[in-house]
Amino acid sequence: MAAVVTSHAELQLVVDTPAVDSGGVAVDRIQCSSCLISTILTKLHAGYFRVSLSLGGQALLWKTLRGPTDDTHTLRQTLHLFHPTAFTVLWCFSFFALVLLSVLYLLRCLLHFKMVKEEFFHHVGVNYLFAPSISWLLLLQSAPFFTPENHYSYVVLWWVFSVLPIVVLDVKIYGQWFTKGKKFLSAVANPTSQLSVIGNLVGAQAAANMGWKESAIGFFSLGMVHYLVLFVTLYQRLSGTDRLPSMLRPVFFLFFAAPSMASLAWQSIAGSFDTTSKLLFFLSLFLFMSLVCRPTLFKRSMRRFSVAWWAYSFPLSMLALASMEYAEEVKGDIPHLIMLLLLAFSVLVSICLVVFTLLNSKIQLLSVCFDPISSFVSRAKCFTAHQNEQPSQTV
Amino acid sequence: MDKRENHVSIELQESASAEPVPELLKLITSSEVVDFDSIMPESETSVSSNGHQRKFSISISMPSSPTGATSAGTKNVLDVEYNGKGFNDSSSVKASKPKPKGVQFLSQPMPKGSVFGEAAPNIKKLKDKRFNSFKTWSGKLERQLTNLRGRQQSESESEEESTQNSGREVLPVDRYFDALEGPELETLRASEEIVLPDDKTWPFLLRYPISSFGICLGVSSQAVMWKTLATATSTKFLHISLTVNLILWWISITLVAVVSSIYLTKVVLYFEAVRSEYYHPIRINFFFAPWIALLFLALGVPPSVATTLPVALWYVLMTPFLFLELKIYGQWMSGGQRRLSKVANPTNHLSVVGNFVGALLGASMGLKEGPIFFFAVGLAHYTVLFVTLYQRLPTNETLPKDLHPVFFLFVAAPSVASMAWANIQGSFDYGSRIAYFIALFLYFSLAVRVNFFRGFKFSLAWWAYTFPMTGAAIATMRYSSAVTNVLTQTLSVILSVVATLTVTALLVTTIVHAFVLRDLFPNDIAIAISDRKPKPQNKWFNLLRHGSSDHDIETFLKFTNSESKDIEVALKIPTAEATRV
Repeated sequence: MAAVVTSHAELQLVVDTPAVDSGGVAVDRIQCSSCLISTILTKLHAGYFRVSLSLGGQALLWKTLRGPTDDTHTLRQTLHLFHPTAFTVLWCFSFFALVLLSVLYLLRCLLHFKMVKEEFFHHVGVNYLFAPSISWLLLLQSAPFFTPENHYSYVVLWWVFSVLPIVVLDVKIYGQWFTKGKKFLSAVANPTSQLSVIGNLVGAQAAANMGWKESAIGFFSLGMVHYLVLFVTLYQRLSGTDRLPSMLRPVFFLFFAAPSMASLAWQSIAGSFDTTSKLLFFLSLFLFMSLVCRPTLFKRSMRRFSVAWWAYSFPLSMLALASMEYAEEVKGDIPHLIMLLLLAFSVLVSICLVVFTLLNSKIQLLSVCFDPISSFVSRAKCFTAHQNEQPSQTV
Repeated sequence: MDKRENHVSIELQESASAEPVPELLKLITSSEVVDFDSIMPESETSVSSNGHQRKFSISISMPSSPTGATSAGTKNVLDVEYNGKGFNDSSSVKASKPKPKGVQFLSQPMPKGSVFGEAAPNIKKLKDKRFNSFKTWSGKLERQLTNLRGRQQSESESEEESTQNSGREVLPVDRYFDALEGPELETLRASEEIVLPDDKTWPFLLRYPISSFGICLGVSSQAVMWKTLATATSTKFLHISLTVNLILWWISITLVAVVSSIYLTKVVLYFEAVRSEYYHPIRINFFFAPWIALLFLALGVPPSVATTLPVALWYVLMTPFLFLELKIYGQWMSGGQRRLSKVANPTNHLSVVGNFVGALLGASMGLKEGPIFFFAVGLAHYTVLFVTLYQRLPTNETLPKDLHPVFFLFVAAPSVASMAWANIQGSFDYGSRIAYFIALFLYFSLAVRVNFFRGFKFSLAWWAYTFPMTGAAIATMRYSSAVTNVLTQTLSVILSVVATLTVTALLVTTIVHAFVLRDLFPNDIAIAISDRKPKPQNKWFNLLRHGSSDHDIETFLKFTNSESKDIEVALKIPTAEATRV
């Protein structure tokens, strides 16, 4: 039986029935695929950039691991032996994923601008608008063929991805924190707000790698000042845990992503892993231990797979990276052991996430919404789509 | 069923009694009531057996007239039970033996626990049963026993016991805030009640709070101060000998040993009470105090005893500290009922300052990375705490409106942090100076307000508040060693003198309270709060009962007169019991 599309707005899912009228099926398939893309666009939100964020973080981690180092410890030297092709494959994979996500999100901005606006007004969604910029910056830094010495193109790309989006968002969001009536910090603060800080810090690191010290310090100070305020506010937990749905608990990992990123950024600025970087690294390590000791915090979010799970990977990669730099600075067995553990953990988590995503992607594309922060509209649409999944009659 | 029948019979007896009917409102002390309660139903005796089987079952079916024989019978039961079990609080065994007077039915406005039997505070087994809920595992055993005997008891009684036993479950932090008040959350609010009798002295271990570790803190920090006075370059002109340090150090070692052993005994024997203290929003911070005291001991070790300490000691001292702070700071971060905006109070400084003391010790031992780790953690969490306390959020109920010695804890963290940073960096550089000046400013802003530190009840926790002053004195000495001039040297001398005088005054007060007033360890009300609010009829009954007792309530609130406290408590419990019918 062929499926009949009754209207363009509805989505008819093709039930796997033996096709009688092959011509009709082909037409329907094209129509259905466009409807499929439409569904994807409505369901997609900035939170999906967690995937590209994690992949970019992993790429940067592996590049640093492979790259030239002064570390003479045997552990580090053995890790050097990893094949360069594996890294290139990883980078290309992340690049592809990021391009795909960016294109889709651009389409969403063009076609469903209202939904993007809704995201902007949501206290969690707004912070993920930093995620594309951060992902692009990470990829830029980890590019195998790009070095800061290719000055001009690097600069242009840095400006395009870093200064423009991040600064604009900064001014808007940080300004809202202390001026706007409904959206000041004590009302909207939640762990994902640290993404704005991380955005500034990644920009600072990229700038410092280019040699632009002043911009780097500018971005760094901007990030750190707001991090201070945010850190205090989040620790106070003025309104308790009820600002964040329990499905989003993985974003608690951002607590230790920000200080790790700050430690790396300061290292790029100062030139070496000095005491300030060490302080920040230790803070991040302590927060990591504190979260890992509380598995019950994450139990509810682990019941069902969701894209929020990808929030685990990026902070771990950043922490592993910081521990790598720390081990390089403080030569010794224990730092290298910590580095190895964190490295293994982050790689393991990333691989598991990829596997889980692939297993669930088919289901995700076709059926009920998984996302914890999908808007009500898209949920309703999906629900309608699900209801229409019936063997339809031939006209 | 027995109880109800008793109740009925008692009422009948009251009307038919040949005894002169006492006045309606009578100040009843516990000793009078003893006899009345000694005829309590047999189920009471059996249940309080503390985990043992019933040895004697006395069927007091309908004691229409209380006879001496009955009371003697119960007294035998009591004796046998006492001898058979060997209670922990042996002192109170001797203290309160029920007198074999002729039992009288006292016509009380509220039968003082007669129906339920458990309210009489100085029937030993009753008291023991109540304290049992604080003993280790006795709650569990009690529950088992209640289940065993459950069918044969009246429902109200079993409910009573189950609430008592389950009352030692983890109380949400809101209960502590609702039931207690005061800067140290020690005072019971007038509308609240406690699950243990208040007019009787509790067993010593139950009265021994964790804040006694404050003495160790105070004395060991003094030892460090005198060591610095003797060895610092800027105070060499005073020619202070190291013997003072030696003496103080040995005193602090003894004190730490004594206090720890007593508290360890409490942990073993009265674990539920320790748990209650752990969940108290103020007392939890004192759980850091033993470790800080040990760190101070290591810092203040006289050169004649040991010049260098093994590095392993630092790891041994800091590991339990790390675990404890992972738990506490995690609670702050993950929100929930113990989040920081709710529980922040100046005593939280104790949980933060330990990081800096550990960093100071590690750096003085020559370690590099470990001290930086603890410094980083301490700095981050100190910032959060400092901002929260300065904000004085309206959601925060624990900040005292007036000044209280606890505010001196504000000075502790920056002064120790400055010294720790100086040791980490190798010299008293800008970071240390910034921290030191913050500490100095806070010290002076509190010192000029010394007039406001009046009218507070002395408690052992005050010792903990002296160590910030000592810490500030030590930091000043370090600073003056870096920046030596007359001003800094004078300042270090003055601060040391102030610290010593404060500690001496505190010592005198402690001795007075211990030996003269004998109330150094009052009943620790803060751990014995009930798990639910008393019903509002209590207040109504109270008001009805003593119309002009607002004055009493006020004096109770100011806890000056212990006798008025007795009035409140003695008449409060019957109302509570009665309303639970």
